[in-house]
Amino acid sequence: MILRAKEISKSFGGVRAVHNVSIAVPENSIFALIGPNGAGKSTLLNLLSGIYQPDAGSLHLEETNLIGLPAHRRVRLGMARTFQKIRLFRQLTLLENVLAGFHIHQDAPFWEYLVYGDTGRFREEARSLLAFVGLEARSGERAGALPYGQQRMLEIARALATRPRLFMLDEPAAGLNAAEVDFLLKRLEQIGRQGVTVLVVEHNMDLVMNVAHRVFVMDHGEPLFEGTPREVQHDPAVIAAYLGGEFAS
Amino acid sequence: MSARRIYFVVSILVLAALPWLIATPYWRGILVLCAMNVLLALSLNLVIGYTGQLNLGQSAFFGIGAYVSTILVKSYGWNFWLAAVAAVGAAGLLGLALAAFAVRLRGHYLAIASLGFAVITYQVLVNWENVTQGVRGIYGIMPPFSHPAALFYLVAGIAVLVYVLIDNLVRSPVGDSLRAIREDEVSAASLGINRALWKAFAFCVGAAIAGLAGCFYPGFVGTLVPDAFNIVESFTMMAMVIVGGMGTMIGPVLGAIVLTFLPELLRGFGELRLMIYGIALTLVVLFMPGGMVQAWMALRARLR
Repeated sequence: MILRAKEISKSFGGVRAVHNVSIAVPENSIFALIGPNGAGKSTLLNLLSGIYQPDAGSLHLEETNLIGLPAHRRVRLGMARTFQKIRLFRQLTLLENVLAGFHIHQDAPFWEYLVYGDTGRFREEARSLLAFVGLEARSGERAGALPYGQQRMLEIARALATRPRLFMLDEPAAGLNAAEVDFLLKRLEQIGRQGVTVLVVEHNMDLVMNVAHRVFVMDHGEPLFEGTPREVQHDPAVIAAYLGGEFAS
Repeated sequence: MSARRIYFVVSILVLAALPWLIATPYWRGILVLCAMNVLLALSLNLVIGYTGQLNLGQSAFFGIGAYVSTILVKSYGWNFWLAAVAAVGAAGLLGLALAAFAVRLRGHYLAIASLGFAVITYQVLVNWENVTQGVRGIYGIMPPFSHPAALFYLVAGIAVLVYVLIDNLVRSPVGDSLRAIREDEVSAASLGINRALWKAFAFCVGAAIAGLAGCFYPGFVGTLVPDAFNIVESFTMMAMVIVGGMGTMIGPVLGAIVLTFLPELLRGFGELRLMIYGIALTLVVLFMPGGMVQAWMALRARLR
């Protein structure tokens, strides 16, 4: 298990966004986190990535305790993420966006920056990441000018620049057309094959059923079911949660 | 030779020739003032333009640099250069103090906090009479070089050095991190960027450079009064950065030059001067928010 959360909870005011959730993500797997709107998936992801700290529970990346560790420190441990509402550096070019992702790997002494400025390090690697998401031809354009679907792909390239071992994506298929979802699916599989564990929060069932090895279902901030995609599709509790109580028998 | 090199050599030659092309003592004085303003605009631009932190307290650091260096020289008999180093250090430390707010506050809230910081500093300069002489001021301050051309070369030389160092820095990975914080802090953190650390860095360096500019001001004017570091100065620096072009290297330099010479050239208009100045500023912000750099880019695009 690369990531292990035990009975973590988070409330906002009186609302229990995440309550007593335990989750264990196996290494080298593609792990999907699904559930109806408001199930607490994004909150859980924010807890895992360090944007929020949980009110209770424990959280480990392998042997490292993550509780109290701010988001930027978790990146150095090999955790990267994308956002449900795209958060690119809109005024910067595509290449600059990806280059910023190499921050934790920049280890030249400070004086070199003062004397030489741009060292050109990681430039090639950044370009190949842009190529990986199909954006190498637009590397000099401003990120804010990209169409929506490509913005999502750029965010993926930028996060990959941190060279994660655990890559968390928050609804990467939201707002994509069928062709773009297909492209995303292939890329996620490829990322998974390169030894990166992928944790994906998703609404798009096609994507989940096609790429995920394991699926974790949440409802009302609580765990509902965990299993293979096939098992999830046939679980009455899951069907009920998605379609509403009256269909449950 | 690359275009960058050519620009660099040409600007050095122009700077070297300037005090001889402009020989009247008054205008030579304005040249020194201009070089000082370039330093101030560069310092503020690092914080506002590149790191995106709305800082209205820059006049305080300018004042700290001026007062610390002058008091160390006049009251304690320090050597000017040693005093300058101490003054830059003091300004940098105070920059870190302001950064403590910047780590918690954003946008308008930071603007108000930093403005408050400038007001407090000004009040300290006015009221701590034992040390600063308050509004009576400190008189008879000597510049490090008495020849006006030499003083200009010194300040302009420092401005060029600071320009080159910041230019390198913002093109380096450090610049990527600062711009990332400017664009989206949450996103920057998700890439491992420690925003508190880098904000503190920008505030500290920006404050130190403003403090450095402050070291040369009292000797140039000959007297030191708190009013020179009124919060209005913060807005003047801001105007230089905006008129020139925020977040570009050359923009604030152009802005500082224009806003140093424009008020002087408008002196013939008497009281109308400030009105023309104000209207010009308003027009720039309304019609070219990216400043002169943006206007130049737009013009070049149209000519092609």
